Amino acid sequence: MSGFPNPLPRPPEELERLRAVWRAPSGWRLISAVNNSYIGLFYLGAAMLFFVLAGILALLIRVQLAVPENDVLPQATYNQVFTMHGTMMMFLFAVPAVEAMGVYLLPNMQAARDLPFPRLSAYAFWAYAVGGLVFFCSLFFGLAPDGGWFMYPPLTSYEFSPGHNADFWLLGIGFIEISAIAGAIEILVGVLRTRAPGMTLDKLPVYSWAMLVFAVMIVFGFPAVILGTALLEIERGFHWPFFIAEKGGDPLLWQHLFWFFGHPDVYIIFLPAAGFVSAILPTMCGTPLVARRWVVLALVATGFIAFGVWVHHMFATGLPKLSLSFFSAASMAVAVPSGIQVFAWIATIAKGKLRLTVPSLFVLGFLAIFTLGGLTGVMVAVVPFDWQTHDTFFVVAHFHYVMIGGMVFPLFAAFYYWAPTASRRALSERLGRWCFGLMFVGFNVAFFPQHIAGLMGMPRRVWTYPAELGWGWINMTSTIGAFVLGLGALVFLIDLARNFRPFTGANAGNVWNAGTLEWLPGGTSVTRSIPIVTSLEPLWDQPTLARDVEDGRYYLPGTATGRRENAESCSVFGAEGHPASSKAAHRRSTS
Amino acid sequence: MSPRICTRCAKAALVALVGGCSGPQSALDPGGAAAEQIATLGWTMFAVATAILVAVLALAAHAALAPADRPAWALREGWVLGAGLAFPIVLLSALLVWSLSITGQGADAPPAPFRIQVVGERWWWRVTYLGPDGRPLFSTANELRLPVGRSVDVELTTADVIHSFWVPGLAGKLDMLPGRVNTLSLAAGRAGTYRGQCAEYCGGAHALMAFMVVAETDDSFDRWMAAQAAPVAEPTSDETRRGRDLFLASGCPACHAARGTPAVGAIGPDLTHVGGRLTIGAGLLPTHRGTLAAWIVDPGHLKPEVRMPAFPIYRGEDLRALAAWLESLE
Amino acid sequence: MRGGALALAVALLAGCDDGEPASTLGDPDRGRTVIARYECGACHRIPGIAGARGKVGPPLAGFGRRAMIAGTLPNRPDALLPWLRDPPAQVAGTAMPALGLTEREAGDVAAYLYTLR
Repeated sequence: MSGFPNPLPRPPEELERLRAVWRAPSGWRLISAVNNSYIGLFYLGAAMLFFVLAGILALLIRVQLAVPENDVLPQATYNQVFTMHGTMMMFLFAVPAVEAMGVYLLPNMQAARDLPFPRLSAYAFWAYAVGGLVFFCSLFFGLAPDGGWFMYPPLTSYEFSPGHNADFWLLGIGFIEISAIAGAIEILVGVLRTRAPGMTLDKLPVYSWAMLVFAVMIVFGFPAVILGTALLEIERGFHWPFFIAEKGGDPLLWQHLFWFFGHPDVYIIFLPAAGFVSAILPTMCGTPLVARRWVVLALVATGFIAFGVWVHHMFATGLPKLSLSFFSAASMAVAVPSGIQVFAWIATIAKGKLRLTVPSLFVLGFLAIFTLGGLTGVMVAVVPFDWQTHDTFFVVAHFHYVMIGGMVFPLFAAFYYWAPTASRRALSERLGRWCFGLMFVGFNVAFFPQHIAGLMGMPRRVWTYPAELGWGWINMTSTIGAFVLGLGALVFLIDLARNFRPFTGANAGNVWNAGTLEWLPGGTSVTRSIPIVTSLEPLWDQPTLARDVEDGRYYLPGTATGRRENAESCSVFGAEGHPASSKAAHRRSTS
Repeated sequence: MSPRICTRCAKAALVALVGGCSGPQSALDPGGAAAEQIATLGWTMFAVATAILVAVLALAAHAALAPADRPAWALREGWVLGAGLAFPIVLLSALLVWSLSITGQGADAPPAPFRIQVVGERWWWRVTYLGPDGRPLFSTANELRLPVGRSVDVELTTADVIHSFWVPGLAGKLDMLPGRVNTLSLAAGRAGTYRGQCAEYCGGAHALMAFMVVAETDDSFDRWMAAQAAPVAEPTSDETRRGRDLFLASGCPACHAARGTPAVGAIGPDLTHVGGRLTIGAGLLPTHRGTLAAWIVDPGHLKPEVRMPAFPIYRGEDLRALAAWLESLE
Repeated sequence: MRGGALALAVALLAGCDDGEPASTLGDPDRGRTVIARYECGACHRIPGIAGARGKVGPPLAGFGRRAMIAGTLPNRPDALLPWLRDPPAQVAGTAMPALGLTEREAGDVAAYLYTLR
């Protein structure tokens, strides 16, 4: 690398002016921050709050089911609790958490200073946080929805759910979906436009690819459920019979609309998590990802196939056998891209030398759990087998394997991995190992037996069951496991309380010796200058890069307009990497 | 641990391993051809999936723990595509073909000369036997009886929300959807009592919406059919006579029918032969005068949100008489 | 061997009771099964029986220390056993029906009820 865009030495007041422009408001005005590093962490914090709350609901469910004919939770409360658990985990935790990580990580990973529309991400966060809290609090007034997280009409329509409970769901979730779409548009444009010069699509981190597919999927998938919720709310409010069969509607219309969103949603949650793994493993193995282009292709392929599988949630509705066959084939096909990724990750481990850090442990745990969940996924894609297992605890076990295994474990890997970019101290390796051990053992003890419960005939969403069906020991085991899992999450919270110190202006630095740009010095404030990217792991390939960036030799070492400025690139090719392409091309006031 | 607890644990483990997965509502304990095929499919997939899982985990463990000099294969992309692309495509194609061959199949047992219409209602099952001409023969609730070795078409509909009809021991589930009639072919290969349960969440007491399927030999099935077609017999004791009079006088006929009496209500289950059913309250309690009496005076406590109102209006001996009469309706 | 250990444990546990008539009436463990099978819990709240939460009749918690049965009979085995087998024959106006318990079943149920103290 010869010739930097900016000569040394830099004017002495330049750095202070840059910092002043990007400094977040202090004190209680911090809530008015819009920079992605702040919004990303707020967002993540709110998602984790909902994770903990919905987790507590899960423990309530497990307490009630621990023994047959239990009466800790009355029927009506139980129905609200499981509905809220599912709804919160899917809408208030899973999607927002991965979106939050995207908001936090993407600009840093692409060496940009922010996402293209910082106020849009702030809007997405605040709409979600306030809406989500109000939604959760409906539980305390007995007004929580009780129609199950997929809210099938006619159960949820005006005749059978006359209270306001279902309206809370429809309106609450409607707003949260709008927030998700706002965030997705931000991420979509962010991946394509706010990249450092030289970062062509070929040099785009796999995580960015995952988030690109994620965002496109949200933009295509979520409108279906927004439409569905709008139609159902109109039906409830004004009695327009969209879903009422005797008046010419069709309850299956809701199922199509919901699952056209709902199944892609599973991949919307999984793909960013797969992106975490593809980012963490190369660092921990000290080698670039094997078969990277195939992994990217697998992400894109998943994005497409995921929109052709929704009917596998409807195999038992009596649809014609021909349509079932098509969707069965597509549901099996979607396993293939995941298989490619799994083997690419194993190949990466084989090629490098895996350091058994806490993030690595969570990634290994993810591989084991997700593989099992994927295999049972193929099983339930088989139509006749699904006729037995659909809506039973087998399916409950399956989707917890793919969701907790496929998303929560990578997310915890990501927390441990990326915490040093946000916090003055890294999280504790010792507590992290405990957290992982408890979560891994607890998870399997909690959810593996549920496969058996389902095969033995236990339907999901039952608040009680008779002793003579022999499900008692399974459920007791499951409950014990759930509490161990909860203990693991508690250890994580303790670790956070002891070690996580964000917003201090400093961070722990590149503790893992990672190669990507979010590890440039700068902390939760911005990097001193925006480098020219020439490879996939710039920090490995250019040993002086961090210092050169810190010295301000690259683009935008100060503020030209006195306001916040960001890198901007061509959607496809990135900006050209040589300094002659004028600085102005990379400048755009975002304040 | 005390020896007693030890013994109990050992027993529980043994039961779990050997017989624990059977039961009246277990898909692992098939009693008919349809369920058997699916169980075979399931066990095969389970075996293959276990093999794949073990292989993947072994591979990952080897990759993570092998000594520092990396094997040459690890450095090539080719095996990633072989294991991640080619292998699953071949395997999944085979699985698809096999599963579709089962999907298209109906039961191959000889058809029975009647059909059964089952209507899901919150939270019980209205069961009507239809003759060859499609006319209803009689109506019952929460219980189906089948002759062993015959396939019976069960027409599934709903009176309110979506339910799902599921007898794991005999066949997979099929939803009951407003505006649609789904037909499930049921055939039992061996005599026995199979428990079924609603599998689609239908609100409220969804967990307490079960039913029984009794498969029996032709002889006893024919006797049952003949008995069901008959009206309520004249009470034979003072107590049951008093019970019938109370039934007719206290408003029960507004919802319930008892053929042969003036009671023709159609909102709740037909009680003509309630005493001969295995359970009351949709699989909730065994049928006898004690549970019948409890149900009459306090159904909402036994089954929250049930639509039958409580009748705490009887003196002790009246309640006993009413329950005794219902119990006598075999 | 295991059976021996079990019997020993039962004997030890039984030895801890303060000389109840329970052991002579029947087997409380079997009594619990009988109670579950007849679904006595449809009317009574009975400790130790899954799902026995009925509110039709009186709760049976502490039955072993109760003075009267049905507010009418003394709570002694010689009154309890006939009561369990045929309540209306003992107290004409009772709502509790005769469920046809055998003598042995009634003994087992009584043995269990007397463990509730």
